[in-house]
Amino acid sequence: MADETRSAFEESEDTRQAQIERATNAVLVAAALALVGGTLVGLVSPSYLVFLVSLAAMYGLLSLGLNVQWGYAGLINFSVAAFFGLGAYVPVLLSASGSPITDAVPPIVGLFAAVVVTVLLALAIGIPTLSLREDYLAIASLGLAEVVRLVFRNQENWTGGTSGVGGVPLFFEGVPVLETLPRDIGTVDLGIYTLSFQFWNGLLNALVVGSFVLVSYLVLRRIHRSPWGRVLRTIRSDEDLAEALGKNAYAFRMQAFVLGSVVTMLAGVYYAYSNYFLTPDIFDPIYTFYAWIAVILGGSGSNRGALFGGVVIVAIIEGTRAFGLSASWRLFAVGLLIILVMRFRPQGVLPPRDELIWPGARGGGSDE
Amino acid sequence: MIGSLSAAGVLASAVAQLGGSYLPQLLNYLANGVVFSAIIVLGGIGLSLVYSIANFANFAHGDTMTVGAYAGLVTLGAIGTAGPTLFALPLGFYAALLAGIAVAAVVAVATHYLIYEPLDVDSIGLLITSIGVAFVYRALVQLRFGSGTYEYGITVLRPIPWIEDLTGITLTEHEVAIVLVSATLVVALHVVLQYTTLGRTMRATADNEELAKVSGIRTERVITSMWVIGAGLAGAAGVFLGLYNQLSPRMGFNLLLVVFAAVILGGIGSVYGAMLGGFVIGMVNRLTPVLTDVGIPIEPAYANAIAFVIMVLVLLVRPTGIAGEEVT
Repeated sequence: MADETRSAFEESEDTRQAQIERATNAVLVAAALALVGGTLVGLVSPSYLVFLVSLAAMYGLLSLGLNVQWGYAGLINFSVAAFFGLGAYVPVLLSASGSPITDAVPPIVGLFAAVVVTVLLALAIGIPTLSLREDYLAIASLGLAEVVRLVFRNQENWTGGTSGVGGVPLFFEGVPVLETLPRDIGTVDLGIYTLSFQFWNGLLNALVVGSFVLVSYLVLRRIHRSPWGRVLRTIRSDEDLAEALGKNAYAFRMQAFVLGSVVTMLAGVYYAYSNYFLTPDIFDPIYTFYAWIAVILGGSGSNRGALFGGVVIVAIIEGTRAFGLSASWRLFAVGLLIILVMRFRPQGVLPPRDELIWPGARGGGSDE
Repeated sequence: MIGSLSAAGVLASAVAQLGGSYLPQLLNYLANGVVFSAIIVLGGIGLSLVYSIANFANFAHGDTMTVGAYAGLVTLGAIGTAGPTLFALPLGFYAALLAGIAVAAVVAVATHYLIYEPLDVDSIGLLITSIGVAFVYRALVQLRFGSGTYEYGITVLRPIPWIEDLTGITLTEHEVAIVLVSATLVVALHVVLQYTTLGRTMRATADNEELAKVSGIRTERVITSMWVIGAGLAGAAGVFLGLYNQLSPRMGFNLLLVVFAAVILGGIGSVYGAMLGGFVIGMVNRLTPVLTDVGIPIEPAYANAIAFVIMVLVLLVRPTGIAGEEVT
């Protein structure tokens, strides 16, 4: 049995990890209960609760996407913000009334256009950079993301420049029923709250971003356990070995990079349609670093951890706001968190362990 | 290499196209480029030193410049701008420069001992930690000074008349001071690196830390000196950047990638490469308006983008940079 051959050290690591997982779950459940309780007694408005959940899902998407790149393939991608911004800008530039290009394309179709543009940009950034040494990749990808940001800031004829794009429609514009659903439900009076168009629209957006997360999570979990995921893990731990086995490391990295970029892009789509106005601020490198903190805090390679990291980011951002602290404190908290995680728990809170084992293979204890 | 070649080509066509009437304008861009280069060179040296001795890409280097700039602001505020001047800069400014250097050095050494030293991570872990350090620096500056902009409160000068009459170049005494002081610092560093024991031990540690240790070099001391020198020069760069432009909490972070571009162009880990790379990137950055002048539709707003593209090209074509050694 595998268990008997384990050293005492590993055993204690295991119980420690189990304790941490229990504590994490307890904190998450307590936070969720507090928020729901707050809503029931009238402290937290339902609209805000829905917004928080959507925001957590959005950061979850950013970190899930980065987790494919860094956690699975070991790519130090500092161009997350470029794809986040692209996911917001492409559909909006095709659908918003203030767009300098056109407003004729329904957002749902724009979403697919964004997928195409994202794949092209990922190839454009990936082809020159993915063969670079890891620290060079970090600098080069950050540089190219800045180039993308500068283009969106300065090409006013295409993007509206720094003044942004106004008149962003609802996500389901052009789709029968869903298009008018938030308005059709009308105002519902619950006593302490009246749920109006704003709430129903927020709820619909939450369902959209929630389904993005659900689909991404399931797809990523499945492929992480697939032969493709195993090759990526091999490349990450020993590239020469993977090459010796006949695997083209560059091609696998590229696939992981493109896949992760598409997931990142989905977060941008939600961001765009939950606001009425879009500015190039979405390309701020801070979003790249938010995604990084989420992934590292959660545990590189762990999808569960990536989602947890997304929740923590929202807790920091909205928590500092709720306590009336300035943006500087938020920056301070984020910086301190990075340092503390790297100092005390570089493998993250929920490092991948069981995730990599097929459910059917568990329990037997046989070591293949 | 590539940058200087393309820049030279653009220059040649610019001169040919517009003839002599364009020359003063071009000389102005060049002069401005020298001033900006001086700042990039000072920043690049420190980044390169950390890369070669501590072995990681330090993303907090830009914010170290910011720390130096604000330390200068506080000092200048305390001392005032009265009294004798040198290059039309009050002596208080030179005190501010020294304070910027000292504070940046102290902050960097403290960061090394408090944060980097106890870590048990690889160079990528250090890189990520340095992002956290950068955020903490910037957050502290913002908490103290707000997110608005400041100026050093030194009278803005008119260009030096005789240079303007003679060549048409508009250059202020402040800009001359930036270049001269930077040149002095760079020469001083050269002397330290080449002719002192400290310099020899630093070069040995950068080459091969294990071998240096075995040879009896106290590498820990070398690393501390490296932080003092690198961050000190970054502090000076920050103060000059504040004089050249203005101060804001993002000033250093915004310049960081440009400095990285310079260091990579010069060859990571090579201090002399960083100087050369800094000079080229600084020049290219300030010569960007030439592109629109000769009819190439790339606006000056893309000056940094050009530097980043050069950086990626260098990484692809010649990752060792101009002066770098073999990279494994």
